[in-house]
This record gives sequence, C-alpha cells and structure tokens, in this order.
Amino acid sequence: MSDQPLRIMVIDDENIVGKRLKPALEKTGDIVETFEEGEKALARFAQEPFDIVVTDIRMEKIDGIEILEQILATSGRTKVIIITGYATVEIAREALSKGAFDFIAKPFKPSDLRAIIERASRELRS
Amino acid sequence: MSILEKLKKISRKEPEIRHFCIQTIRFKKFLENARVLLDLFNDGREKVLGEYIFDRHYVVSLIDSVIERLGMMVYDASVLVPKSGETLYAMYDKHKLAAGNLIGFSASGNGGAISGSDTSEISLSAEPEYQLLSDVLRWFDGKEAPTGTTVMDFMKQAFFYVLQFDAIGGLESSDSMKNQSLFENSGVLASDMGIYLVDLWKDALALPEKRRAINDFNSVPLKHLLMDAGVKDVKSGPENIHNGASWVAAVSEYQLSLNTLKPDFQFRLETLASGYEQSDFIFIFADKSASLDSILPAGFHIESTDYGQLAWNLDVSVKTIEDSLMIIGRNLFN
Repeated sequence: MSDQPLRIMVIDDENIVGKRLKPALEKTGDIVETFEEGEKALARFAQEPFDIVVTDIRMEKIDGIEILEQILATSGRTKVIIITGYATVEIAREALSKGAFDFIAKPFKPSDLRAIIERASRELRS
Repeated sequence: MSILEKLKKISRKEPEIRHFCIQTIRFKKFLENARVLLDLFNDGREKVLGEYIFDRHYVVSLIDSVIERLGMMVYDASVLVPKSGETLYAMYDKHKLAAGNLIGFSASGNGGAISGSDTSEISLSAEPEYQLLSDVLRWFDGKEAPTGTTVMDFMKQAFFYVLQFDAIGGLESSDSMKNQSLFENSGVLASDMGIYLVDLWKDALALPEKRRAINDFNSVPLKHLLMDAGVKDVKSGPENIHNGASWVAAVSEYQLSLNTLKPDFQFRLETLASGYEQSDFIFIFADKSASLDSILPAGFHIESTDYGQLAWNLDVSVKTIEDSLMIIGRNLFN
C-alpha cells in the first residue's frame, strides 16, 4: 500500500485551480483528476473512489459541504480537504465538524496543500 | 483605557491643543491606511510571481480592498485638510471607475483597462487570473503607466495635500511663529532640547504651567530619539530657551509625532514602537533640500516627490526602530 500512488480528485469551478494543481501534485507520482463541476466529480467518484478529494467550498451548483457529505457517505476512508476563499473560514470550520480532514485558504502554495495531503496519506496508510 | 475615555480626556484640553492632538491622531490613521495599501500592493506582487494558486475572486477582493482603503485614506486627508476634499474625492472616483473597468473587462474576457502593454515582469502565465492581477499591479504602481494614473501617484498626491497644508505639518514660514505662540499660549512650554511636548492621551485637566523634563513623559520612542542627542550638553536646562522652541512633539507611551517649527526646514517624523511588528513603523517627511542620507540609518525606503521626500521603514522589530530613532535623534539634534 505504501508504494502505491495516491488517487487524488480536485474539484474547483475556477479552471485555473485544477490546471495548476494537477501538474504540481503529479510531481510526486500520484494520480490526479480535476473537475470543474461537482456533479461530474461525484459521478466519477461513484465509479471509482479516490483516496483524497480536494474541493473548493463555494461552487455554483453543488457546494463543497454537499460534496463532503456525499463523498463521506460513499467512502468513509476518503480524506476530504476543503479549499476556502477569503471570507469562508467559518464555513470551513463547519466542514471540519462534518468530517473534513483539513482546509486550506486561497491563495495558497501547492507545497502547503502537499503537506496536508502527506498528513492525510499517513493516516490512510496507518 | 477605552477610546471613549481617551476622547473624554482629550476634550478637556484647551481647544488649540485638542485640535493639535486630534490632527495628530488623524494623521496616524492616514498613515495606517497608507501602510495597508502598501501591504496590499506587496501581497499582489507576491502572488503574481507564480508560486501561489489563486482565483479571480482573490484578485477582485484585492481590488475591492484597495478601493475601500483608498477611500479611508481620502477621508482622513479631507478631515486633516478640508480644502483638499473636493479634488481628492474627484480623483478617488476616477480610481473607482478604473477598478470597476478592471473587474468588468476581465469578466467579459477582455484584457485590463489600464494602458501600457509591457507585461514582461509578470509573464509567468497567460492565465486570465494572472493577466488580471498583472493589470491590477500596473494600476497600483506600474512604472510604465501614464504619469498620474496609478494608485501610488494618487497616494503621493494625498500626502502632498496633507503634508503641505495640514495645520501641524507643512509649516510655511509665516505659520511658524503662529504655531510657536500656539504652544506657548496654551501653556505647553518647551522642555529640554527646546521641544514643545504634548502628551497625546494624558489627562490634562490643567495644562502644565512650567516646563517639564523629557523624563516626565512616559514615551519609549521619545526617550530613544533623545537618548544620544546631547541632552547632557544643555547644561543650563530649559531656561536656556528664550525664543520659543524649534520642535513640537506629541507623544504617548509607544508613539511619537515630531514636527519642526523652523521656517526654513520641513521635517516630520511619525513612529509607533509598540513591539507589534505588523503595526510598528517609522515615517518621515522632509523637504527636498534635507539630506536624508545623512540623517537616516540604512534600511529606509525613500521616495522623492516634487514637494519633498517621503521615507519609511515598515515590518521591522522594535529594536530596529529604537536604534533608528537614536541615530536620527543624534543627527537631528547634535
């Protein structure tokens, strides 16, 4: 298990986030799929669960909280990391209380997200 | 002490000194807002380098924050110098329009609204978010932007009004004697070193009737400013001062606002040395002829303008500020 790459799903309706995160997270050999729409991401997750889901909290059709709830209902072992904007830290706290693994506020460095993913990975593999 | 209690205490002072204190406090708010604007510029510059992941919302929030803070700065300036209000608010409206254009143009898929096309310094990405942020930075302080169109140009203009026409700073020669007599008539008599001293927050039910020594004022920055400035050389003490003082300083425990009353030398120093690095600073305004290189220690950012020199040092430790004040005091007073 420890040598297997992580399967990471990134959901953000801002195209630039997935576009920039994908190559940054793939550098360590993990498998990354990006989505701009929550429905498509959930449909993909239903086909094949991911180890880690990184999702923006504010999106038009399905927000990050709803994604969190549906992901955890489908796969309790998946670690969900919430991306927040400026004024959404309170909502992020709500997400933590609902089972999110951690949250990170935009703007952020990929290395900061990588550190959270590594912590999540250690928990998954322990 | 709550703000309300402090204001109550200020209100008991003589009107002229009360006005002086309020102007000094308002100027500190003005500087505080200018500092936040510089921090916002730096934040944008840091993000555009490519290391961070951000979205359009970040850039729009940055624009909104700049406009909001710029409005606060204009308000402070128009309180300090009421006659500047009309001009500054008209300029502010233009910047609000420019900000709206930046947001609107980018939302419709077009480029930025600010003229100038050199994007070499921010060509790390062709993404629209980066393009928008680079346009915003050009609006903030783009060297290639037409003169007078940037936020920084506007800030300098606001400083010009405040520093040239504010009743505390910008003392023209004809006002110098008037301001000297203001402090003498108010009972604020020159202390050691020939400085009129006003305690910004101290309860002044009755203004002092005799000269007070500098050590009577509990002000950390004042003590450092004068620590190495030859106080001991004033052997006969304050009695030596016959013709009014050359300086006026408003102080509190961690604040110092020092202004010259000399007709031929403009110099204004504002500092906060509280130990909280995020808010501590030294700001200096001096006329164009002042040799700041020989007055200030290294590390200051100096901006020359048509009306004088602005210098500041931000995000430094209280120790650095105190050391700087000692050097400045020595160079000014010795």
